[in-house]
Order: sequence, then structure tokens, then C-alpha cells
Amino acid sequence: MRRVACAARPDWRAKAAECGFGFHTIDDAPYWDESAYYAFSLRQIEQDIEAPSEELHAMALDMVERIVGSERHMQQLAIPEPYRDWIAQSWRRRDPHLYGRLDFAYDGSGPAKLYELNYDTPTSLFEAAFFQWQWLEDQLARGQLPAGSDQFNSIQESLVEAFGTIARGIARPFHFAAVRDSAADQGTVAYLRDCALQAGIDCGLLAIEDIGLSEDGRFTDLDDQVIGCLFKLYPLEDLFRESFGAYLPRAGMQLIEPPWKALLSNKGILPLLWEAHPGHPNLLPAAFDDGGELPRGWVRKPLHSREGANVAMRLDDGRTLATSGPYDGPCIRQACHPLSAFDGHHPLLGSWVVGDRACGLGIREDSTLITQDSARFVPHAIVEEARGVLIA
Amino acid sequence: MKRSKTAALLLMSTAPLLLTACDRNESREGLYTSVEACVAQTNDRDTCQQAFAKAEQDAVATAPRFASREACEANYGKEQCAERNDGANHSFFGPLMTGFFLSQMMRNGAAMNGFNSAPAFRDSNGGWQRPAAGAGAGGVYRGGAGTGMVPVNATPNRAVTVSRSGFGRSGSSRSFGG
Repeated sequence: MRRVACAARPDWRAKAAECGFGFHTIDDAPYWDESAYYAFSLRQIEQDIEAPSEELHAMALDMVERIVGSERHMQQLAIPEPYRDWIAQSWRRRDPHLYGRLDFAYDGSGPAKLYELNYDTPTSLFEAAFFQWQWLEDQLARGQLPAGSDQFNSIQESLVEAFGTIARGIARPFHFAAVRDSAADQGTVAYLRDCALQAGIDCGLLAIEDIGLSEDGRFTDLDDQVIGCLFKLYPLEDLFRESFGAYLPRAGMQLIEPPWKALLSNKGILPLLWEAHPGHPNLLPAAFDDGGELPRGWVRKPLHSREGANVAMRLDDGRTLATSGPYDGPCIRQACHPLSAFDGHHPLLGSWVVGDRACGLGIREDSTLITQDSARFVPHAIVEEARGVLIA
Repeated sequence: MKRSKTAALLLMSTAPLLLTACDRNESREGLYTSVEACVAQTNDRDTCQQAFAKAEQDAVATAPRFASREACEANYGKEQCAERNDGANHSFFGPLMTGFFLSQMMRNGAAMNGFNSAPAFRDSNGGWQRPAAGAGAGGVYRGGAGTGMVPVNATPNRAVTVSRSGFGRSGSSRSFGG
């Protein structure tokens, strides 16, 4: 794994505009950054990222089965009582899921370490699945990459295949919903809807704020049609505590991601996985937080923080790093395993799982050890090293 | 190759040669209790017959399975179940197919070639069901994911909306990338 400087495509902004990628620059700061890329060997991708992702994914699904049968685990994950049966039923019915992203610390040597599962509202999808793919094709054509370079990225193919597979199980009308004023979230649902259309599924877009409630407790779209299935790029735990939330268990509306994903997008899954698989090479030691002082070499994360918010990190040397944010509530602790630096940048690897298949990689790079929403997206390539050349 | 062979966009792209606003793809789906009902709606006897035949064939593989006739009838009603065999000498009881779905892609108001069909079953409460996603498994989903039955509404429901904006409050100040 190397970080390789590379000339950006002169026309990348025009290409972004052409495909509706409007959030490549956020508040005047670059978000999409193709001034460099990460180069991996095929062995690193297949053995260190792809295989562990599928294994951890299977372990996580097994854990759902255990959690739905345990009030104690539901309690540990702070799942509100009125939603527990509904979540368990959604698992027993195997309500279809679409995707998730595992975040890994990895620098090319040793096993990748799982930071967390983003299994409810993972974003940076369009950048990883489409724009990164187009970058590789363009740079190959321009001769900027070694001939035969590849990319771990069949995300779009897998999304279309997944939608095609679950199409029959999706209730209609089917809408994709995100927060109205978030350009990134709106871009992500527009992309997912595009993939669904490519799978032959008729579906619409709806702002999450526009969802209506009928007198008899069902959810409606702007035409007063009862929504059959809602893809929501919106955290389940936020739906639970908002004013319409109480209607969810009896409204009959199918959700994607389904309610059972609330058990996996919760950082409480990390101590439970560690308890079930102690010493697993891809897991970091983790425990539920007792609120005491954070010892050296540990990180504290709220069960529900996103984008690296409200994380406290106590390094081995005693230094403390912390981020602010809107999240509170119960926390977990995880052994500190800081991200490696490449030319002063700290890459966090997002490994995508669509359906149950590990199918792609997206890298976010930050200048600090805690990856936040300011982290830039940097593309990657699989580059086979020439035979006989030793890489220092 | 570890990447998508191709990646195109339908609606997001402004590039030419793709679908335009006046050439939108939509789909039409219906739930029919007989080939005749299907023909009355679609005026396409060939497709309706093929859809029915395919649904009937799929019904054996995708219908829910019960160990006894009693268990099946408790869910699907008296006289609504039959003994079946999975081909490996395991017999079980499953509900009779009581209808079928037909979905077709539409272009400019006309059905395009090809269709999807699926069997439909009616439970003892009169509710319609179809096999859930992934029945048969393989591909992007592992076996076991989504092999149950899901309820369906054959016709879209309308309801008078009495309030909106009950979701979205937490979202105004942050993004959810996780």
C-alpha cells in the first residue's frame, strides 16, 4: 500500500457536473481529491480487506440473531423498549437489507482492524462506486496509471444486482428519502434511486421532512399515497425518537435499511463481537464504557456517533484527542489503534458490503487521527508490483 | 477484474445518448387471479399466459413449507394446501397459488419486451403475500436472507394526511455519513 501523487484529470470538474456530483467541494474545501491515489497489491485487497470484510459481515449477522433473543443485549445497545419486538420481527422475517460499510485501519501490513460498522446510513457511496470508477477508467486511458491497473470496486454492479434480487420483496410505492437540505445526502439517494431504476424498479424521491401521517397511523407521500417501502438515508435511532417514530411499529411501512440494522449501526456491536470472538485478528478489544476515566491506549465512542463526532482518544503517551458534536448517551471503549500516516495524511478504509458481498473500497483521508466529515475522498487502484523489484 | 465492467447513470447524468425526460422508463405491475383478468387489463394474452406458467412453476420452489397439512391450513385456510415434493424425496405442504404478479417495463406508455412474474398466495385473513427477496438465493445475497413471505398491497392505498414534518428534526444540523 502506497500513496502515489498523480496529476488530476484536467476536466474532472466538468465530469463531476455531468453526472450530478455536486458536493465534490464542501464549504470551499476540497472533498473529492484526486491529486493522489492509494496503490494496493491484489493480495492486500483480497486477503486483507475483502476476505475479512465478508467474515466480519457474517459474524455481525450471526450476532443479530443472538441480540434479538436477549433483553440484556437490547438494553446494552440502548434500543428503546417500544421498538424491540418490531426490530426482532424484522429480523425473523429477514426484511431485505441493501448495504453497509466497514471502516478499517490498515496500512498494508498486518491485519486490518475494524473501527466500526456503518450499517444504517453509510455515505460516500457515489464517490466510491461511480466517480472513483470513472477516475480509474479515465486515468488508464490517459496513461497516468500503470497498464492493467484495477480497482476493488464492483459496488455499482452489486447495487443493481441487489435491487434486482430484492425487487419482488419491496412494497410499492417505493420512495428514497433524505434530509432536504443536505446536498451530499440528496446526491446519495439520487444515485441509489438511479441504481434501483437500472434494476427495473419504479421508485421516487421524497424529502424526509415531507413524509406525512394519516389519521389511522400510516405514512404517506406528497400525493397522499400510503408509502409501501421507504429507503431512508436517515438514522433509525433518530426516527425512533422523533414525533412520528411511535407509529413505525404499526404503520406497516417497510424500511431499507430494515429495523434490524439498528443493532449493527450501533457501536455496542463492537464489545459484543469482541466478547464472542476474543482475539480475532480483525477486531480491536472493546468493552461497554463504565463512565470512569479513560485509561491510556483507549478510545471512547458514543453508541450512536457518526462522522467521528464526540470521540475521545487517549494515546499511549497520555495525550488526549477529542472531537465535539451533538451525540451523547451511553458509550463504548475500544483499544486505541491509531491510523498510520502517509505523507502526513491518515487514511481510513471504507470496505463496502452490498447484500452479503464485499465488493469495493473507498478511502477517506484526514490530517488528524480521528476521521471526521471534513475528510477528503481519495481514490485507489490495484497495481501489481513488477516482478523482482523489492519495495522498501 | 475487481471492478464493475461498466457503470452508467440513467437520470443523474446530463450526458446525451441516455434517457431523456420524455422517454422515461416506468414499470407496470399487476396482481391477477387468472389469465383472463390479466388479459382484460393488459390486452396481451401471450405475456399473461407465460407469466402465469412461470409463476406456477416458481410457486413450488418459493411457497412457504409446512411439515403438516394442518399447519399449512392454519395459515392459509381449509382446502388451500397441497402436498409437494422438493425432488429429493422430501415432501412438505404448501399453499396453493391463488394469483400471480406480472410486471413489465413501460416506454412511452407501451410495454417493452420481457416481463417478471411471481406467484401470489392468499392467507386465511384474506391478505395477499408474495415470496420475499432472494428466495432461491445465490448471487449477491447469501442463502437464508429473505426467504420468507411478504404482504403485498395489490392496489396503492390512499389515506388522508393529517400532519407532516414528524421526521427530519435531527437532520437539519448534520450529515450522516458515519
